[in-house]
Amino acid sequence: MAPSATQTLLSPAELSYIHHSLSLSPPIRPDGRSPTEFRPLFAETDILPNTNGSARVCFADGSEAIAGVKAEVERSIARPGLDISADDDGEEERHGENAWVEMSIEIPGHRDDDALPVFLAAMLTEALLADSELKDRLWINRRFHWKLYIDILLLSPPSSYPLPLLSLTTHLSLLSTHLPALISDPADDPLFNDDWHSATPLYPPSSSTPPVTLLVTTIGETILLDPTPEELAVADAVLALSVAAPLPSKAKKGKGNPQARLLAIRTLDPPSRLTPLGTTAGPTEGAPPRTGMAWAPPQGGLKRELLSRVIKAVVAPGGGAEEVLAGLAGVVA
Amino acid sequence: MTSLKRPWRADGGGPELASKVYVRSTKSGKVQKIVREVYLRRDIPCSSMLCEACLKHAPSNSQNQAQPFVLSAKPAGTKRFPQGHYLIPDTNAFLTGMDLFEVESAFHDVIVLQTVLEEVRNRSLPLYHRLVNLTKNESKRFYVFFNEFRAETHVLRLPGETINDRNDRAVRAAVAWYAGHLAMAVNGRKPPAVVMISDDKGNLAKAKAEKIDGMKLVEYVSHLDDATHLLDMISELHERRPGGKAEMFYPEYYSMSKLLTGIKAGTIHQGIFNISAYNFLEGSVHVPAFEKSLLILGRENANRAVSGDVVAIEILPKDQWKAPSSKLVEEESLDKNDNPDAEDGEEVVTERDRRALQEEVRQTQRSTAENRLQPTARVVGVIKRNWRQYVGHVDRDSVKSTDKHSRQQQMVFVRPMDRRIPKIRMRTRQAGELLGKRILVTIDAWDRDSRYPFGHFVRSLGDLETKGAETEALLLEYDVQYRPFANAVLDCLPREGHDWKVPQEKADPGWQGRRDLRDLIVCSIDPVGCVDIDDALHARPLPNGNYEVGVHIADVSHFVKPNTAMDKEASIRGTTVYLVDKRIDMLPMLLGTDLCSLKPYVERYAFSVLWEIDSDANIINANFTKSVIRSREAFSYEQAQLRIDDASQQDDLTKSMRVLMMLSKKFKQKRMDAGALNLASPEVRVELESETSDPIDVKTKQALDTNSLVEEFMLLANTSVAAKVYTAFPQTALLRRHAAPPKSNFEDLAVQLKVKKGMTLRSDSSKALADSLDTCVDPTVPFFNTMVRILATRCMMSAEYFCAGTQAYPEFRHYGLASEIYTHFTSPIRRYADLEVHRQLAAAIEYEVLHQSLHSRAKLEAVCKNINVRHRNAQLAGRASVSYYVGQALKGRSLVEEAYVMRVFSNGFVVIVPRFGVEDVVRLKDLGVDEKESEFDGDRYVLRIGGEVRRDVELFQRVKVGITDELEESTGKRKIRLRLV
Repeated sequence: MAPSATQTLLSPAELSYIHHSLSLSPPIRPDGRSPTEFRPLFAETDILPNTNGSARVCFADGSEAIAGVKAEVERSIARPGLDISADDDGEEERHGENAWVEMSIEIPGHRDDDALPVFLAAMLTEALLADSELKDRLWINRRFHWKLYIDILLLSPPSSYPLPLLSLTTHLSLLSTHLPALISDPADDPLFNDDWHSATPLYPPSSSTPPVTLLVTTIGETILLDPTPEELAVADAVLALSVAAPLPSKAKKGKGNPQARLLAIRTLDPPSRLTPLGTTAGPTEGAPPRTGMAWAPPQGGLKRELLSRVIKAVVAPGGGAEEVLAGLAGVVA
Repeated sequence: MTSLKRPWRADGGGPELASKVYVRSTKSGKVQKIVREVYLRRDIPCSSMLCEACLKHAPSNSQNQAQPFVLSAKPAGTKRFPQGHYLIPDTNAFLTGMDLFEVESAFHDVIVLQTVLEEVRNRSLPLYHRLVNLTKNESKRFYVFFNEFRAETHVLRLPGETINDRNDRAVRAAVAWYAGHLAMAVNGRKPPAVVMISDDKGNLAKAKAEKIDGMKLVEYVSHLDDATHLLDMISELHERRPGGKAEMFYPEYYSMSKLLTGIKAGTIHQGIFNISAYNFLEGSVHVPAFEKSLLILGRENANRAVSGDVVAIEILPKDQWKAPSSKLVEEESLDKNDNPDAEDGEEVVTERDRRALQEEVRQTQRSTAENRLQPTARVVGVIKRNWRQYVGHVDRDSVKSTDKHSRQQQMVFVRPMDRRIPKIRMRTRQAGELLGKRILVTIDAWDRDSRYPFGHFVRSLGDLETKGAETEALLLEYDVQYRPFANAVLDCLPREGHDWKVPQEKADPGWQGRRDLRDLIVCSIDPVGCVDIDDALHARPLPNGNYEVGVHIADVSHFVKPNTAMDKEASIRGTTVYLVDKRIDMLPMLLGTDLCSLKPYVERYAFSVLWEIDSDANIINANFTKSVIRSREAFSYEQAQLRIDDASQQDDLTKSMRVLMMLSKKFKQKRMDAGALNLASPEVRVELESETSDPIDVKTKQALDTNSLVEEFMLLANTSVAAKVYTAFPQTALLRRHAAPPKSNFEDLAVQLKVKKGMTLRSDSSKALADSLDTCVDPTVPFFNTMVRILATRCMMSAEYFCAGTQAYPEFRHYGLASEIYTHFTSPIRRYADLEVHRQLAAAIEYEVLHQSLHSRAKLEAVCKNINVRHRNAQLAGRASVSYYVGQALKGRSLVEEAYVMRVFSNGFVVIVPRFGVEDVVRLKDLGVDEKESEFDGDRYVLRIGGEVRRDVELFQRVKVGITDELEESTGKRKIRLRLV
C-alpha cells in the first residue's frame, strides 16, 4: 500500500476504545453514522470553462479537490501486421489503447514523482481502464483517436486518505466531459463541428458511468463504508472497490434494480498496522500474548466470507455504490 | 448523500459580461475548445443624425474632434416607407447583391452589422474588401454598427441553435433595437423605418412575428426607380431551379475532410487549374508531386473548375492516359447551337464534344510512341474558387428577343473575352440593350445540374471596339488598378509641387549623407518620348588608366517613405503599366515625370552606383551613395547612336558615351561567355496618330547598340546592388531569380528540331542552351533562329522576385542572365521592387535606418507575391493592347505577308507573322477544306491538306499568308484573319 497518508495521533487506549465500539452490533461510529452512511459532500461540475469537463468536490472534513479533463486529437500509432481490427466486411472494431488515458495528480507538499500521487494515479487509471468502454469510445478511426488528459488537483492537505475524494472528482469531471462532434466521414481525417453546444458527452446516457473507487473497512465482523481517519486507524482491513453503474440495457431487462458493476478490488495496507503496541505491563521476552493488552495492531488478512459480504454491501441493489452514483448523477443532471 | 450544485454560468453572471464558447480546429489538427469573454458596453452610438442621445458617445479622431454621424437625418423614402428608411441587410443580401449595394443611385443609409460583416469575411474575402471600401465611401452613408458589443443587441447562442439562426436572431435584435432607439430619438415624430433585407424565408417570417420590417432583396429592388437595371445585378446564388429531380451533369465533389485526408496521404493532388489556349476541353494542373503537368480532358473531368481555380485532382487509371491533344478545339465551333434556357436533354458531353474526344483518342492510339502518353486526372474538389469579374459580350445567337424596350427577363449566354473561361449563363431584362456592348459579369455559382456556370451582370463598359471600352476591358481583365490616385495618396506629395528644387544650402537635411556629383558629365538614354527617366550614366578616365563609371538612379525612396498612403498604393499597383496609348502610373505624375525623373539641365536627387573599371571591363571596386546630379542631356537611343557614330563630335559627353559603349560591349561578351541567353520575343511598336491616337502603322522594334549599352550597365548595377544588399540583409534582401527550367520542358522543341531540321538542342545548362541556340541557323531563312529563340523562351520558367531567406543561395541564380545573384534596382519610378531595394540599399550603406516592414520576411514575401502577379499582368496587358491596336491598324486592309509555321495540329496550324509580331491559327475549316480529306503526321509534324488546297504544311516552314481583319465572334475582338496563299 501507499505510504500511509497520515499518522493519526491516537493513544493505544483511544484506539482500543474506538475499535471496541466499532466491533459492537450495531457498531457505534465516532460521528454517529450508520455503517453504510456516507458523509455529506459538496460538488459542482463545469467549473473550468476551458476544459472539456471539470468538477470540484468538497468533503465535510474540509478536504477538497478539482479535476479537469482535456481531450486532444492524436494520431494513432500504426502497427502493420498487428492490425487485424478490420473485419472482412469492412466494419472496423473500435479498439482503444491504455495509453490514451493519462492522469496526473497534484498533492500539496508532494513532488509529482512522489510515491503517493503516482500510486493514486495508477489506481484511478486502473479503475478507468478496467471498463474498456471508455478507451474504445476514444477511438475516432484507424488513424486518429482522442487522448484524454485528466488533471487532478488536491486543494487541501491530504489529511485523510484522499482516494475516494479524487475518485469522486474524476468521476464527476468525466461525467461532464464533452467531445466536439465529428462531422466528417468516419474514415477521413477528422473534422469537428465548431459549435460547442453540439459536442457529445463522453459518457452518453446509454452507457455506463465512469467508475468510483470507494473505501470500505472491516473491523471484526463490522463493515463500514466511507471510513473516517480515526476508523481507518483501527481497521482490520481496508478495501478499495471500483464500481460503475449497471449498464442501462441490463437495467431494463432485469426485474428490480440490477447490481452495480464491480470493476476492481484492491486491499490496502490499513494505517492501523503502524499504530504502536499498547501493553499494560512492560514488554516481555518472547512472543507477547495478545490478551491483556490495551491495543495491538491488527494482523492477518480478510476472510473470504467477509470479503463477499463487503462486495455485496457495496454493489447490491440499494447498496453503497448505488447511493453514491445516484447522488453524483444528480450533480451533473 | 446531499449535494449542492452551482453551474458555471454561460452569461458570465453580469449584464456587461458574456462569453462565447466554440471549438477551433487548428491547421496542425489540434481541436481546442475556446472560451472568449465578451465585455459589453452601452456607449456604441447609433450614428443617426436624428439621435442626440448618442452624440456624447461619438468617436473622435486624433485631434479629439467628434466625428460626424453617418446616417442621414432625412433618408430617402420609397412607396412603402414614405417616411424614409434605413436598411439593415443580412449576410446573404451582401453576398448576392454586392454589385447592387455599390450602385451610386440607390442603397444609401445602410447599417452594416458587425455580425454581418464578420460573416461576409468568412464567406468571401473579396466581397468583404468591397464592403469595407463601401463603408469608407462617404456619399453612400454605410455605417458599421458593432452590435455584438452593445449590451442591448448582443445575442447569446442558444443550445441547439445553429450559428446561422443565431446570426439571424442577432440581425433581428439589432433591427428591433434601432427601431425602438430611433422612435425615442425623434420624440413623437415619425421615425424612419428600419428595414431588414433578407432572402431567408424563415428569418422573414420570424421578423413578421416580431413586428419588424423585413423584405427580400428582389422585392425591395423592384420598388426602386431603376428596377430593371438593378434587378439584373442580383447574383444567381439564391435562385435554385424549381423541381426536385434535376438531372445531375457533373459528379459531386468529395467532402472537404476526404480531400484533406487524400491530399495528406498523397492520393489526391492540389494545384491551379489551367485551360489550354488552343483547346478549351484540355486543362492541365501542375502539382508539386510530378515534374510534368497532369492533363484534365473533357468537361466531366474538369468538373466545373474554371481556369485559375485551385483544385483537388485524382489521377485516372492508366488505360485512360492520353497524349496531349493535337487538335484545335474552340468552344464556339462546337456548341454554337446551345440554348441557354433549354435544360432538357442537356448533356455534359454533347455529341460533338464526345466526337471531338473520340477523335483524339484515336489519334493517340495511332501514334505508337508510348512515351507520349501522359497521365490524366479528374477534378474531385475545388479548394478555392478564383472567380473574378469577367469581361465579355452577350452571345447574339442566345438572345431570343432583341427588342430594346422589352423588359422581359430572358436567359442569355455571355462569352468571356478570355477564351479559357466557359460561357456564362445570365438572366437579364435588358438583353436588347446589351447586345454589341462590352460588359462586365461575375460567376455566382456552378451547380451540378447546370452545364454552364450562372452569373450576373455587373455593368456595361461601352460599345464593342470603342477605344474606351476596349482599354477598360483590358485593364479589368488583367486586374490593373487604373483608378485615379486617392486624395490620401496625393497628400503625401511634397507641398512645393512642381516648384520643388534640390535645396541650395548644403546644411539642408536633404543634403545629409549625399555626395555632390553635380560636376559629373551625366546623360540619360531612353526611348523616344520618355518622360519618366529612371536612370542616367557617366564615365570618365581616371589618372591610373582605369575608368570611373557611374549609374545614377532616380531617388524615389526619398519621396516615397515606407508605410505612407502613397507607399501602400504603389505596393498594390506594383508596376507602371504601358499600353499602346496609355500609361497607368505606379506613382503620381508629379513624382514620376518631374521630381524623381532625371530630367536634363536640372539638379535631381539620385542614388548612384560608382565603379572603378579597368579597360578589360574588370570591376576593381563598387561604391553606393545617395547623390545630387545634374544630367547634361537626355538622348533617345537613336540620337545617342548618331552622336557616338559621328566622328566629328569630340566633346566630353560624347567621349564618355564612347567609353561606355566600349565597356558595355566587353561586358556583354563576358556575359555571353558565361552562358547568358540571348532570347527573343516578337516586339512591335504601333505608331499612333498624335491627335486622335488612332493607329497608323505597325513597326518592329529595332535594337541599336545604345539599347544594349544601357542594358549592360543596368544589369551591372542590379547585380552589384544585389550582392551588397544580400551581404547586409541575408534573410530579407529582396532579390530576383530565374529558375533553371526542368529538362523536360525542352523535350518537345528538341524533338521537333531534330526531326525537321536535324539540329540538336542541348539544355543541360544555360551555356549549353545558348551555344546550341547559336547553331540553330538556317542560312536561307534568317528568321528561323529568332523563331527558335521565341519557342525556347516559352519553355522557360518566368523570373520572379523573392525574399532571400526563402531560398538557398544556389537557387538565387538568374538562369537567363547567367548571374549568381540579381535584383531590380534601376527603375524605381515604375517598379515597386526597385523602390524596396533602394530602401534596403540605403540601409545597407547606413544612410538611413531600415523600416521595420523591410525587416519582416512575412511582409516581404507578401510584397513579392503581389508584385510577381502584377508584373506578369502588366506584361500581358501590354501585349494585349498591342495586339488590339495591330488589329485596328489593319482594319479594312488586305495584305500578303511572310509567315512561319510554329505549331501543327491535325485540323490547323499556328503561324507567326514577324512583320506584325502576331501569332494566329489557320484552321482547315477557314481554308474550306474538310478535315477528313487531310492527313496529319504527328511524328513528322506534317499536315497534308487535301481538298482544293492540296499542299503540305510542315513545322518551321515559311508560308505566305493573306491578312485581313475580322471581328471575332467568340471574343468580340477585332483580330486578324489569316489565309494560306
